[in-house]
Amino acid sequence: MADPNLKDKVEELIRDNQVLLFMKGTPESPACGNSMRAVNVLESYGIEYAALDVLPAMQPLREVTGEIADWTTFPQLYVNGQLVGGADIVEELDESGELAEVLGTERSEPAPPSAKEQFKAENPQQSPPMQIER
Amino acid sequence: MALVDDVKTLIEGALPGSAVEVIDEGGGDHLRVQVTAPQFEGLGLIEQHRLVKNAVRERSDTGELHSLTIKTSVPD
Repeated sequence: MADPNLKDKVEELIRDNQVLLFMKGTPESPACGNSMRAVNVLESYGIEYAALDVLPAMQPLREVTGEIADWTTFPQLYVNGQLVGGADIVEELDESGELAEVLGTERSEPAPPSAKEQFKAENPQQSPPMQIER
Repeated sequence: MALVDDVKTLIEGALPGSAVEVIDEGGGDHLRVQVTAPQFEGLGLIEQHRLVKNAVRERSDTGELHSLTIKTSVPD
């Protein structure tokens, strides 16, 4: 069974952050190709989002998200408290236009490869990556 | 059994009647699957992916299967 304290914290994060990405590494430095794919899609919308690095507590977080959303792999994108999916679903919904609806925004541009760098340059105040303490 | 074949067998076992193609994207533990299954009919993407992921969960949990890229579709 998942650690109840950690589960409470995770539920609070999902509730308090309209767009929340659980990922391996940070948006600036993703530690896995799938996490990078999810970050690239999100950044192409130019929206604010919270990112949680799961690496410091991966196994406990797997158990928690397994209980909350029946999903145990990362990345995981939550929007308005609901699991949207992992990297494959996020990309598929992006291509079909459904992700724009879910996010309630339009894609800023068909992202050029350098979009992430431009986004960072224009938004230097982007909130720092979060970490969770057990 | 190579993981590629193992994953194919597990998904086909969990989703009888499905057509499963597994591609090794590198190292034998980063796989891509294309699954066409009648069970996906009427389901959202999350549920479709859950069915595939749950079929191979024992391999993911052990770390044997590091990454699985999933593409699902309903048969014509």
